[in-house]
Amino acid sequence: MDMLLQALSSLLTIESILTVLVGVSLGLFIGSLPGLTATMALAVLLPFTFSMEALQGLIALGAVYMGSIYGGAFTAILINTPGTPSSIATTFDGYPMARQGRAYEALAGATMASVAGGVVGVIFLLILAPPLARLAVAFGPAEMFWVAMLGLTLVASLSSGSLLKGLLAGCIGMMLSTIGVSPIGGETRFTFGFPPLQGGVELIVALIGLFVIPELLTMAAEGRGALPSGGEMRKRELSIGRIARQIFGKPVNLIRSCLIGQLVAIIPGAGGNVTSLVAYNEARRFSKDPSSFGKGNLEGVVASESSNNVMVAGSMVPLLTLGIPGAPPDAIILGVLLMHGLRPGIDLFTETGVLTNGFILSMGLAALMLLPVGLIGGRLIHRVVIRTPYYFLVPSIAMVTILGTFALRNSFLDVGIMLALGTAGYFLRLIGIHAAPIVLGLILGGIAEQGYVQTMLAAVADPVPWLRLVENPLSKVLAGLVLVGAASALIPIWLERSGRLAKVTDTTEANRNREGEV
Amino acid sequence: MIVRLNTDIVAGLVGLAFAAALWLPRADMGRLSIIFPRAVLVILVLLSLILVLKGFIRPGERRIEITGSPRRLLVVIIGFFAWWMAIDAIGFLVSTVIAFYALTWYLARVEGVVRWQRLARWTPAILLLIGTFYLTFKEVLNVRLPTGLLM
Amino acid sequence: MKFIRKPLVVAVSALAVVGMSTAVQADYPEEDITYIIPFNPGGESDVTARFQEPILEEELGVSVNVTHQPGGGGAVAWSQFQNNAEPDGYEIIGVNIPHIIGQPIQRSDAGFETDDWRIVTFFHSTPNALIVPDDSPYETLDDLVEDAKENPEAITLGGSGTYSANHLDMLRFEEEAGIDLTYIPFTGTGPLKGAIEGNHLSGIFNYTMLGTEMEDSARVLAVASEERVKALPDAPTFKEQGYDIVGGAYRGVAVPKGTPDEVVETLEEAFAKANEEIASKQEPLGFVMEDITGEEVDEVVAMLREAYEPILQSASEED
Repeated sequence: MDMLLQALSSLLTIESILTVLVGVSLGLFIGSLPGLTATMALAVLLPFTFSMEALQGLIALGAVYMGSIYGGAFTAILINTPGTPSSIATTFDGYPMARQGRAYEALAGATMASVAGGVVGVIFLLILAPPLARLAVAFGPAEMFWVAMLGLTLVASLSSGSLLKGLLAGCIGMMLSTIGVSPIGGETRFTFGFPPLQGGVELIVALIGLFVIPELLTMAAEGRGALPSGGEMRKRELSIGRIARQIFGKPVNLIRSCLIGQLVAIIPGAGGNVTSLVAYNEARRFSKDPSSFGKGNLEGVVASESSNNVMVAGSMVPLLTLGIPGAPPDAIILGVLLMHGLRPGIDLFTETGVLTNGFILSMGLAALMLLPVGLIGGRLIHRVVIRTPYYFLVPSIAMVTILGTFALRNSFLDVGIMLALGTAGYFLRLIGIHAAPIVLGLILGGIAEQGYVQTMLAAVADPVPWLRLVENPLSKVLAGLVLVGAASALIPIWLERSGRLAKVTDTTEANRNREGEV
Repeated sequence: MIVRLNTDIVAGLVGLAFAAALWLPRADMGRLSIIFPRAVLVILVLLSLILVLKGFIRPGERRIEITGSPRRLLVVIIGFFAWWMAIDAIGFLVSTVIAFYALTWYLARVEGVVRWQRLARWTPAILLLIGTFYLTFKEVLNVRLPTGLLM
Repeated sequence: MKFIRKPLVVAVSALAVVGMSTAVQADYPEEDITYIIPFNPGGESDVTARFQEPILEEELGVSVNVTHQPGGGGAVAWSQFQNNAEPDGYEIIGVNIPHIIGQPIQRSDAGFETDDWRIVTFFHSTPNALIVPDDSPYETLDDLVEDAKENPEAITLGGSGTYSANHLDMLRFEEEAGIDLTYIPFTGTGPLKGAIEGNHLSGIFNYTMLGTEMEDSARVLAVASEERVKALPDAPTFKEQGYDIVGGAYRGVAVPKGTPDEVVETLEEAFAKANEEIASKQEPLGFVMEDITGEEVDEVVAMLREAYEPILQSASEED
């Protein structure tokens, strides 16, 4: 406790508060640009932190991290573009809300959810780090395979309309993930003899292409902006207070999403990219009115944004206790820790406890700072986006997209891949193959492949190798969850169908779907 | 524009075409590298076939709608790709200025004829925007933007 | 205004280079230097480059911009560099052994060659290390070898990447000791720590850094260096225990072929200076500082190529 107070006092200086404020704003800006990820934001900041004291440097990094994860929500809501992969699920309801003229409601909701999520994550980190870390390492290759399978059951809720087409999209995504160098085996795959393709299809490149370009093309074809201009902002009854009551009045959704965020965040390697999708899926599953999701339900935005901000501090659990980065940006923070001679482990909480606690608390401060920065910034950006005529908006967004895609890997080819996927995505959407399950496949393909092949390799000497997949208690539990998830996704569809078509007993359909799921 | 199209069959065919493109290069890969893509490919083909079949037996959506002007859609698609290729040829800055003007002019024509005076009035805003982003990426983020022949 | 003048300057200096390249190079460096890291931000190559950046800037008097071009385990950046970079010393790229040796042998479309550039220096190396968790039954390397003889393929060792330094030296170890182990590749060192803490592996064949990082929870059975590593004074080498295995990852920088000698020398000095200052930070982490330049570079590359080539050849024939 002493340590905590000491840490708090070292944090409450003008210098620290300013660092947090600047860090959060900077992170917000970078995170909101498609293509510029939290990892990149941290990498750019790294040289500046060398000249700072250990605590100040870490505070700056934590603040930028928090800001950039949150920043993704802006573009997700306003132009249907997740600025970072962690805000994919925010687009599902955020963008429909914006199209209905409720953009500010969505932005304010996202801000409050992010603040709540950020603070909850910090609390978890302060009091539950060691036991959570033990849980984190229980995820080995076999468990990761089941995590990926569990993720794939999300396809059912992501594919609006046809489940078959959703699964097809997921498979296309998984195939895209296999282009490049194979994670195990080290060979180049599907490069068609073209060296630059060894780099494969980067998730964020696909994400930008599949989400932004179809939106731009739609705007261009329709000859008008996607968001209704004016109106909304003047309505005073849409006060911050009302939105707050809506979110915190019935906090079940918020609490559930935070818990999910924390659980998923500690799974090394799956972390950030899936948290918001899982939380969204559960929010929908437990909602009284699941069909309103995807059409502008604030609960969807809240679930996504609260869970992904829990992830910021949440992924520090395995990092600070064991030195295992839970999400890509954590690798950079690990580098900084080591550089200052701080070795992750229990010493970090005892010997250098003041510093560690100061860092953790600063993330809480950063989360709180999101509230004013987010509400004011959100209002500004919202105004800019709806007032800008669409014929400026389309080339501007296109330019930022091209720059962001290029900046990711300094790759000219990536820009082409982004445009090609985006154009394809526009037409695929017309025939019912949506972007979200493709991206989901792309995220999970790599995780599934690695988990499966690693497990099989480890079991070379076993008589029945694939039994390794369900050897540990945790993998059994996860496999069970996959079955439950698949069933709960399929049974309602099947019931509805057999109810409506009472006379045609369509068992083949159900069988067929089950096949696809496994 | 509304096009009559059996989306199930088309989606199935797209899946098959995609699988076919990746089917051939699959041959000379090691066991560890091929195990996963092969499994996904098989599932992909199965799903596609089922979709095609379903399209004949019990089709879902049988028409698609391209909202707005298909011509503008096509022009903008071509425009984007031309922009991309121009970046390599003549550098990011020049190609972006040209592409930005061209797109703005073309898209603004929806509201009627665009006189050059109006374009000229937009110039400060456009140049400021491009300049800001160009400098931010180049100087702050250290991104090596293509310079092409011009710069 | 700067925008319009620059192409002219470029054009003029291009002409100048053709006419009197030595005169221009004498004042190297005059412009900013771009330092390409062919891997993701946050990795060891990146962090090292960030350490070097300020020192290089001070030494060279121009700004050094670290930029990333990840993909294909480095191959994307390397192939582009060998095809496009100008031999003027204003573009330098990080190179790693064994990546630059292994990829061209193993892939038909790597897009670059091991020797098609001039390697300025290898500034540090990270020897391989065989690490087991604290509660492992293997107290020494001999325990492990003995068990492996009784239960072939049952011992699982994780490492980072396929046909990486970890993988290749583990294969050499198998051959030297006449045993069969199972190597499981992971992406990067982060997940490895989790896998060993969670008892998903018998041990790891990774770098010395992981050994120092995990000092409290793991044991280093052997290190693949000539002499014991400073940060791990208690860990014996493979050589001490009768296995002739010296290897690991070497990190360095390269410039295009045909870069003038003076330029290379200037860079050599700057990197050597950077090493002096970084040593105090990196050595305790398990890095081994090196200053391999000139002909030594070729010797090191040749030595490791000889060690790894047969393994790689037979591996690609098997597939």
